[in-house]
Amino acid sequence: MITLTNLGKVFRTELIETHALRDVNLQVNEGEFAALTGPSGSGKSTLLNILGTLESFDSGDYQLDGKSVKGLSDAALSKLRNEKIGFIFQSFNLIKDFSIYDNIELPLRYRGLNATVRKQRIERALELVGLHARRDYLPGQLSGGQQQRVAIARAIAGEPRILLADEPTGNLDSLMARQVMELLEQINRQGCTILMVTHDPDQARRAGRNIQIIDGQLHDSTMYDPLAQHTA
Amino acid sequence: MEQLFYYLKVSWFSIKRAPLPYMLTVLILSLGLGVFFSNATFYYRMNSDPLPDKSDKLFFPMMMLVPYQCSDCKAPPVLSYSNVAKLAASDIPSARAAMYSADGYLRQHAAQPPTPVTVRITQRDFFSMFDVPLLHGTIWPDNQARDELLLSKATAEKILGRTDVVGQQLLLDDRLFTIIGVLDDWQMLPKLYDAYNRQYLNPAEDIYLPLESGYDYNYLSNNNSSTYDDADYRKLATDGRTKAIHQLQYWVQLDTPAQQQAYRQFMANLVTDEKAAGRHPSPEANQLVMLRDIVRYFGGESADIKAFAIVTLLFLLVSVFNASHLSLNRYLSNQYEFSLRRALGANRSQLQMQLLVDMGLMSTFTLAGAAVIAYGCTKLMNSLWPANRLFASWDVQLMLALAVLTLFCSYLVTLYPSLRASFGSLNKQLKE
Repeated sequence: MITLTNLGKVFRTELIETHALRDVNLQVNEGEFAALTGPSGSGKSTLLNILGTLESFDSGDYQLDGKSVKGLSDAALSKLRNEKIGFIFQSFNLIKDFSIYDNIELPLRYRGLNATVRKQRIERALELVGLHARRDYLPGQLSGGQQQRVAIARAIAGEPRILLADEPTGNLDSLMARQVMELLEQINRQGCTILMVTHDPDQARRAGRNIQIIDGQLHDSTMYDPLAQHTA
Repeated sequence: MEQLFYYLKVSWFSIKRAPLPYMLTVLILSLGLGVFFSNATFYYRMNSDPLPDKSDKLFFPMMMLVPYQCSDCKAPPVLSYSNVAKLAASDIPSARAAMYSADGYLRQHAAQPPTPVTVRITQRDFFSMFDVPLLHGTIWPDNQARDELLLSKATAEKILGRTDVVGQQLLLDDRLFTIIGVLDDWQMLPKLYDAYNRQYLNPAEDIYLPLESGYDYNYLSNNNSSTYDDADYRKLATDGRTKAIHQLQYWVQLDTPAQQQAYRQFMANLVTDEKAAGRHPSPEANQLVMLRDIVRYFGGESADIKAFAIVTLLFLLVSVFNASHLSLNRYLSNQYEFSLRRALGANRSQLQMQLLVDMGLMSTFTLAGAAVIAYGCTKLMNSLWPANRLFASWDVQLMLALAVLTLFCSYLVTLYPSLRASFGSLNKQLKE
């Protein structure tokens, strides 16, 4: 589903060049739950941003569903983001003066879906994250965990093929973090591919695959057996 | 339509997030536009064509028919009675009228206190040439002297309390005149028939008298006039008709280019005749100026007005610049939301649509503010310079111009900030 070939990204300033990613080769199959791990500044968020087409790359190629994203127009990239990719951010990134319902509706608006379809999808997503009763609340009225569940609902309402989560539990306590992880696992079981940046080794182990990045290079790609973890 | 309401809702939330900078932006822009518009109103009126159907058919002839020699002089704008008679001898024009203005006192009867009035002393074609509307009665049947006058509607109402007063008599400077007509509401703006006195801002006259009666009763011109040799300007009934007392403005109507050419030739022939008779010592300096060119010809566009126009334009530019700066700050503080919307699938065109709605909303508030400020400025100008009050009225064209200008300025104010917001780095904003 995702194929990266010799992908490279360089950040340039007047004085220095920083190679954030070098010759990254990666294949992610449909339905996988992969954790991107590595020390701070290793390039994992950059990789996630490139996968989400929020950032461009300088060399190599990135193919999504067999098609290269290189050279796509702004409109084509926006459409791709809107229809195929869901984002979950560490700081939730909800619009604070929009209701929960309106926040979840955001990506559906730009897809041009009619009000009835939007409503159906939003309600389904709210049911999944268990916040249907709070649809008219403002984000500030919810706990951190609930806000992240709203962000997940927003990401899945568009029924994307891939979920990209950048430290989704980074701002949550352990209980909330566990709830969010369970939710992500549930979504993954329904067939959605998930790539998640995390610093937490436990969460990385819960993912089916751990992709480790050190100094911009893919160092190791270990396939975990979640079943073995659970039975251990 | 649903999407439009959504965009409006987003704009409204954006305003609510930081109302003070938004209000300040609108206020600054309204101020610039309001001040500019009040001046533009004046300028627009000053340069408008009061008779679009006739402004290329009415001509103001001028000739060097003066008893002095000058090799580089322009032809004077006023003519003597006898010169007008020479110019009127041609049957080429389809209409012609000589005129001047004077002051008088009007009352209904001797027991009533007199009311000062302005008097246009002219000939019968004046009314048809300048499309003067008649409410009641008629105009003089010819250009003979007669004790008959026409009143403006406002004067009839002021002196007699009503407009249907044809046949009644009034005392003008204690001479009895019969009212033969009452004009309907009429104001030529700018008042170009008073060609050279730069009184384009003044209201139309209160009373209209036959030219011959004006001369008979010695109504002296209240504007510039020139007297030569032994002529006594106070003896209008005698010297005024025979000697060199130059005070008459003269208009002719020449409907076709052929008529215009023929009249030019007529004027040239007249110069030849006058030279032969020793009455035209100067070189020929004939002018036949079209009504629409009168202000330009006589330099009626005052330097003060132009300077003020430039100042208000600069003020508008400064306002747009300041509003744009405030707007940029507001958009940059909202850039996170732009980036989020783009990350979630909005393309730049969709964001631009949102910004267009922002602009539309800002234009609406600004238009209202600018209209109020322009109204206030106009009122202030009216009270400071009462003579300008006729130029303060707004019509649909002016309002549309203000709306278009407001849209344009609002677009300028939101253009750069919106481009900055649309092209910001997505990942950076979302990570912060």
